Amino acid sequence: MNAAVKPRILIGKPGLDGHDRGAKYVAQILRDAGFEVIYTGIRRSPEQIVDTAVQEDVAAIGLSLLSGAHLALFTRVLELLHDRGADDIVVFGGGTIPPKDIPRLKEMGVAEVFTPGTPARQIVAAIDDCLLHHSVM
Amino acid sequence: MDARLEQLIKDARSDGSCALRAAARLMSIMTNQPQRLGELLAGSRDWPQPRLVLGVTGAPGSGKSTITDHLAAEFRDHFPERKLGIVAVDPSSPFTGGALLGDRVRMMRHASDPHVFIRSLASRGHLGGLALGARGVVRVMGLIGCDTVIVETVGVGQSEVEIAQNADLVVVVLAPGQGDSVQMLKAGLLEAADLFVVNKSDREGADLLHQQLLSMLQRQRLARLDLASTPGEPMTCGGPMLTGPQGIVDERATPAVRVALDNETPPVFRCSAIKHEGVAELMMELKGLTDRHAVDWQNRRKGQTIEEIRLAVLEEVRRRVSDRLAPGRKGYEELERATEGNRSMAALVDELLYEAAAAGRGLQSSGC
Ligand SMILES: Nc1nc2c(ncn2[C@@H]2O[C@H](COP(=O)(O)OP(=O)(O)O)[C@@H](O)[C@H]2O)c(=O)[nH]1
Ligand SMILES: [Mg+2]
Repeated sequence: MNAAVKPRILIGKPGLDGHDRGAKYVAQILRDAGFEVIYTGIRRSPEQIVDTAVQEDVAAIGLSLLSGAHLALFTRVLELLHDRGADDIVVFGGGTIPPKDIPRLKEMGVAEVFTPGTPARQIVAAIDDCLLHHSVM
Repeated sequence: MDARLEQLIKDARSDGSCALRAAARLMSIMTNQPQRLGELLAGSRDWPQPRLVLGVTGAPGSGKSTITDHLAAEFRDHFPERKLGIVAVDPSSPFTGGALLGDRVRMMRHASDPHVFIRSLASRGHLGGLALGARGVVRVMGLIGCDTVIVETVGVGQSEVEIAQNADLVVVVLAPGQGDSVQMLKAGLLEAADLFVVNKSDREGADLLHQQLLSMLQRQRLARLDLASTPGEPMTCGGPMLTGPQGIVDERATPAVRVALDNETPPVFRCSAIKHEGVAELMMELKGLTDRHAVDWQNRRKGQTIEEIRLAVLEEVRRRVSDRLAPGRKGYEELERATEGNRSMAALVDELLYEAAAAGRGLQSSGC
């Protein structure tokens, strides 16, 4: 039975702006690709996101960011994951992130960054790839 | 018990920083391999159990998650020392197997509260095991010290109704503008309820729905009392609530937050969850019921535990046998040979069963 179980993924939106179109879109394409997606809604603090990720035992966290505070927010999320002994949770992101910041984010430990317009298939393939070695219990 | 499971249980019960993570992992094991519930239970005889497991069910959109969120806030106000668990079930897509679990959106204020543990589950269609898996999750919540566990499910589908039936108390939530509500009552939810909530009382149509529900309950009550044919009982849509002592409808009466036709009829609460109206009353009712019945429930759970283990054993037998009989496996070859030989069917079945049962965990097709 569990051969069919795919990893769970949290999709959340930290920051103060209230647009969740991008986050919902990614949540839906991942659901359609067979993932169980835990959607947290908008304006979540890094603490809420990380605590939720731990309780839900997700394999990955996807953050949608539009507010420009992406470096600080990703830093904080990665820090909190580390504090909670949950470094193994994959973190990816998307939204209006300037291309020049992407190498920096990847260096910090963000696995993938999707810019607006990335085709659904590409997003799913990249996430499948990131989670290839994740063992579902 | 498997060493890894044992370690996770130890960690989950500790005060260490990895306790929450371990509990969450245990929950994953329970939902992904529900047949292992027996194993978990075997190692958990002395675990604390929640005093109350509350099922919250009803049509999609009726406000179950919102009520759960507000009940959680009430609970935390009342019992600052106690822990609360929430299990929120949403349906899986029957086409892709994926699921969008969004109940948490309404509960985010509790996300970082160390006294609240929330777990979302996908119903995973007919793959089954949801009821069993959810029981495992509730057990783990007991393990980490949850005093009360709220289980939210959409009130459709066999296994979801089963989950509700496993709860100590079931709240059925109805709301106006939710055409499904009355239909679902007719389809069996009426009987499943220990309490009703007519939610969205701030909306038009709430009074009517309230009346419809009370009429249905009244009919049921009269049938029970075998008085259905007695003249004089108000049976019209005025129902008993707006009816004065002489059976005259009082149009000015404001429906009370709590109405109970008699002690054996589930009480009906009127709430506006988003305005936090009626929630405190609901909470007090739940508290009263728990104080009175927690001991009975503990005893009833013992019976349920036996049933759980029985189901876990049956599930495990089914899995081992079907593994062994899959094309390409050893048992399948025996089947093929058997069609040529001259052994009796009964002898063959016995042998296959015996071997499958003995095969043990080594045969698991997948695992961690
Ligand atoms: N007007 C009104 N809307 C409500 C009330 N309770 C919940 N809602 C809204 O109804 C919608 C569905 O609520 P939700 O709790 O997600 O329902 P569920 O599907 O049963 O869990 C949301 O938009 C809520 O904000 C209420 O008391 N009054
Ligand atoms: Mg809900």
